[in-house]
Amino acid sequence: DHQSTAVPSSQVLHSDVIEMEPETMETKSLTDYFRKMHMDAVMTTC
Amino acid sequence: EDQSSHIRYRMEASCLELALEGERLCKLGDYHAGVSFFEAAIQVGTEDLQVLSAVYSQLGNAYFHLHDYAKALEFHRHDLTLTRTIGDQLGEAKASGNLGNTLKALGRFDEAIVCCQRHLDIARDLSDKVGQARAFYNFGNVYHAKGKSVCWTGAEPGDFPEEVVTALKRAADYYDENLAIVRELGDRAAQGRTCGNLGNTHYLLGNFRAAVAFHEQRLLIAKEFGDRAAQRRAYCNLGNAFIFLGEFDVAAEHYKKALQLARQLKDRAVEAQACYSLGNTYTLLHDYERAIDYHLKHLIIAQDLNDRIGEGRACWSLGNAHTALGNHDQAMHFAEKHLEICKETGDRSGELTARM
Repeated sequence: DHQSTAVPSSQVLHSDVIEMEPETMETKSLTDYFRKMHMDAVMTTC
Repeated sequence: EDQSSHIRYRMEASCLELALEGERLCKLGDYHAGVSFFEAAIQVGTEDLQVLSAVYSQLGNAYFHLHDYAKALEFHRHDLTLTRTIGDQLGEAKASGNLGNTLKALGRFDEAIVCCQRHLDIARDLSDKVGQARAFYNFGNVYHAKGKSVCWTGAEPGDFPEEVVTALKRAADYYDENLAIVRELGDRAAQGRTCGNLGNTHYLLGNFRAAVAFHEQRLLIAKEFGDRAAQRRAYCNLGNAFIFLGEFDVAAEHYKKALQLARQLKDRAVEAQACYSLGNTYTLLHDYERAIDYHLKHLIIAQDLNDRIGEGRACWSLGNAHTALGNHDQAMHFAEKHLEICKETGDRSGELTARM
């Protein structure tokens, strides 16, 4: 009987890996910061 | 006076150039090189505290992605102190969020919760919906990780101690709060992430039908973006849920899709995991020839990657499958290999299983 000699299902199931979604890290972009500064300077000049 | 201001100007320009290069490299995923440029930018120094905050924050994030959480903690703390000192509320909210994620990764859940709450409080004060949603997502992740960290081993999904269930239910509540906001904002990418983690939370709570529904939503959104890594994760999680629903054929189809995507993404470690899951699924289906085929594939990759623990698991599974087919010589060969690896890796429980 194949079934009786198979790996118990509980042991099989423990091997499965849960795939989590990535963390969302907050960003502070220098490129955006300087683009904004540049735009502000242009607006002031106008 | 002129010379001094000229030197200061040159320093600012030099710091900025270095930091912008660090930012560019990190965007490309080269965090090691990015860190070097940010560190150099700090050495040069700047009097612009917004620039300094951005450099601290990006350095913290780079170290986070490199899994150097102690260094990530150091820089996110510097950022938090700085933003508080200069009264930059939005900056403080972001620093708190990043610090919370880092503390979660370090298993310091209670401190992480304090940071998430600060992130949320500031986002509420500023009527920042996006910030609130992100704080809820982080809260969910902390409670999910907290639940998994307590009494995790030995029990099966749906059968965890009360403390674990409480943490997982809180995680689900926070993810629900996040989902309500990101749906309102029409942020599909955020919806995808939350659906994936809600699916995992319901899976651990034993709500396997709900888990399937969320993972299917996650899969749909991943397809909208052509995000193959997210599709692979969703297929793998769907496979896991269908195993617990007793629908092994359906689970196998999902794991096969996960395997196909892992190969496309050229990610050998997740390819090995998919092969292992398929081997186990065919064992449950009593199709031992196919189980052996997948476990052998897993074994080859584990050997290539020098993953002795994976190799040991493959040998153990192959021993069982050969036993089921009555191939006693083969079964003995793999059982001996398994025992040898368990001794080498110091896996006492595996060693005891192997001796049986």
